[in-house]
Amino acid sequence: MVTKHTIKYAALGLAMLGATTGASASDADNFPSKPIQFLVAAGAGGGTDNFARVVRPMFEEAMGGARITVVNLPAASGALAHQRTATSAADGHTLDFASTTLVTSLAAGQNPVGLDQLTPVARMQSDVMALFVNPERFPDFESFVKYAEENPGKVTVGGTHTASPDHVTFLSLRDASGLDMNFIPYDSTGNATANVLGGNIDATTTSLSPLLSYIEAGQMMPILVFSDERLEDYPDVPTTVENNWDLTDGNDRAIFVHADTPAPILQRLEKAFKEVYDSEDYQSYAERVNLDYREGWMGSDEYRQRLENNYELYSRLLQND
Amino acid sequence: MLEHFLGGLAVVMQPLNLLLLISAVFIGFIGGALPGISGVILVVILLPVTYGMEPTTAFMVLTAIYGATVFSGLITAILYRAPGTPEAVMTAFDGYPMTQRGEAGKALGIGVLSSAIGGLVGTVALIIFTPMLAKMALKFSSPEYFALAVLGLTVVASLGGRLIFGLIGAALGLFIATIGIDPLTGTSRFTFGNLNLAEGVGLIPVIVGLFAVSEVMKRTLDHESHQPLKKVKVKIFDLPILRQIGMTLSRSSIIGVIIGILPGIGASTAAMVSYSETVRWSKHPEKFGKGAPEGIAAPESANNAAAMGALVPLFALGIPGSGTTAVILGAFIMHGLQPGPMFMLTSSDLIYAVFAGLFIVNFMILLFSKPFIVLFTKLLNVPYSALGPIIIMCCIVGTYSVRNSMFDVWLMMGFGVLGYLLEKINFPLVSIILGLVLGPIAESELRRTLSMSQGDFSIFLERPISATLLSIAFLLLAVTLITPLIKRARRKTAAT
Repeated sequence: MVTKHTIKYAALGLAMLGATTGASASDADNFPSKPIQFLVAAGAGGGTDNFARVVRPMFEEAMGGARITVVNLPAASGALAHQRTATSAADGHTLDFASTTLVTSLAAGQNPVGLDQLTPVARMQSDVMALFVNPERFPDFESFVKYAEENPGKVTVGGTHTASPDHVTFLSLRDASGLDMNFIPYDSTGNATANVLGGNIDATTTSLSPLLSYIEAGQMMPILVFSDERLEDYPDVPTTVENNWDLTDGNDRAIFVHADTPAPILQRLEKAFKEVYDSEDYQSYAERVNLDYREGWMGSDEYRQRLENNYELYSRLLQND
Repeated sequence: MLEHFLGGLAVVMQPLNLLLLISAVFIGFIGGALPGISGVILVVILLPVTYGMEPTTAFMVLTAIYGATVFSGLITAILYRAPGTPEAVMTAFDGYPMTQRGEAGKALGIGVLSSAIGGLVGTVALIIFTPMLAKMALKFSSPEYFALAVLGLTVVASLGGRLIFGLIGAALGLFIATIGIDPLTGTSRFTFGNLNLAEGVGLIPVIVGLFAVSEVMKRTLDHESHQPLKKVKVKIFDLPILRQIGMTLSRSSIIGVIIGILPGIGASTAAMVSYSETVRWSKHPEKFGKGAPEGIAAPESANNAAAMGALVPLFALGIPGSGTTAVILGAFIMHGLQPGPMFMLTSSDLIYAVFAGLFIVNFMILLFSKPFIVLFTKLLNVPYSALGPIIIMCCIVGTYSVRNSMFDVWLMMGFGVLGYLLEKINFPLVSIILGLVLGPIAESELRRTLSMSQGDFSIFLERPISATLLSIAFLLLAVTLITPLIKRARRKTAAT
């Protein structure tokens, strides 16, 4: 009995020693000094959740073995996850897995946690946004524009809820093109899609990968992609940039940490995620879920710059709406 | 098609697959019976386990779990008034009074039979009609959904009890449903700046609080004597009962399939609408809520039929018809498959194996539910002073797990107190649930419709389906409101 207790206390003492040294060291060598928490700013089973859960074992490996727990905090479009990240210790042990919704909800005033409290580690996915129609109704973008010009206020475009990536994509297109169109928010991409298929609304603005099977079946067609250059698979579909509209929105999935996280730790995390991104496992996953249309990777600084620009644009668009 | 189905059946009958299917059914039974653990959560938890499986096996397992949870929610709903899943709320209204009368075995038997029949009708519809029905469901848009919700809401008038209470309850439900960020404009409504309220009040905290927690409070605080249940004999095939509920079963299964197929509204709504219609068409509407066998048959056949129906748009269009099917859609994508218009052609082997699996699952429910239920009825012999806290504990864990939110747990407790107080004045809790579930559908679909028509209300009458549904609602409302007046007038003339 005595030996058992002695061992227990000795172990406890060692553990406490380890804990105190881990907490005081701020350099990246000791990182991670305790279990890492992935907060997923979305519900279980969705795209962002799948992303976090697929990355988890790869990240574990890249960090040379770290204990990771995944917690879903979907409430308030993920604002709760952002808040918990911003109020946790700035030591890189709490990672926020979020989509573009972080910036759009911030711009809409629904998310109180801004880029002054959180900073991106990296962006790993960017699903290309596009304008989709039923090809029987509009064979191409020109016919869509012509119809919209002849019937101002009549065109209805669906997408997910207000201040979603779908919605701001619609707003930026309306702003750039000057077409008089209405947005109808639905509960999910599926509902918006069903209404385009059923001919109840005219179009939808959303990301490419969820709609691929409809495109293959010829029931839906992208007529405008939000991209710098034409996509390899859709050489006939014009881009926004061709129309002189500087809109290259995607539905991004990225990882955020507390804004005061020390630079060495941030770099260490960024390096680990880059390693994950370059791995064969990750790339085959990206291909499987059709997220390889555009380069997903964007480092911390570059992505932060992009988010700040987008925040400004989205705030203006949502205020004018 | 038949050969496809037989091919699927052969896949299901492989020993390993059959074993996995049986395990899936049992996992579903347990998950469904625990309040708060719904099909969505179970599927999400078991998703990683299926990564290593063949896609066909994986989806047979996932859909079997889904089917089994929808069934087993009724066990705790009937025995403890703690609905194991949201789909089983309506079952508690007549199931629990039967338990209180000492007829738990009869109530459970009706539930099992109705679930299996509803499930089979749903599966057959799934097998035969998937491509055809999916096309028709696309004709359903905002005006039609609005009309359907209105039809459901008008039943408040025929629920029995005091009409004013019914109206207050429905209004309360509608109010609770408005809390949160308005999905159409992004405006916060009644959130008081609290992020926990931004997403709105979840269905689970309200249901678990109003029904399960309030019941434990009542039994504990009021020292209510309870019919001792020494022996519960579950009788599934009972001819006189079957004759009594036959009509209800067929009507509710059909309603369930149709509502299930419509994208966006699921089995909970189906259970509610079929319950409402059963009350409305019954010769004795006053018996509902007090232990009417039809009150169990209607929601149970409808929710199981709807659960299967919800798979139709998923397989045929890639559009999920309910929460759990949305997660299953995610699972397909993780396996590198994309349900959609081409799916029936490219993956017909997988689809028919899944169909055959579901077909078998409904028979497994008939076969295995009895021993499983016996386990639960044994718990009835545990003194309530021990059982009550266990029920509360399950409610807390279940509610917390939905959104990892302690706030929801407090909310659930609050609704528990509210439910306890409302029951003291014989307030019909069903009307609150009616408002809460149908309210958001009615509200947002009305506004979407008006955006579609640029504010013109005539769109409701121009579209044939919505016009029909709205006229039925109007007629039925008029009949229920006018009939008592005529009766009273007649009595008056007879008296004078």
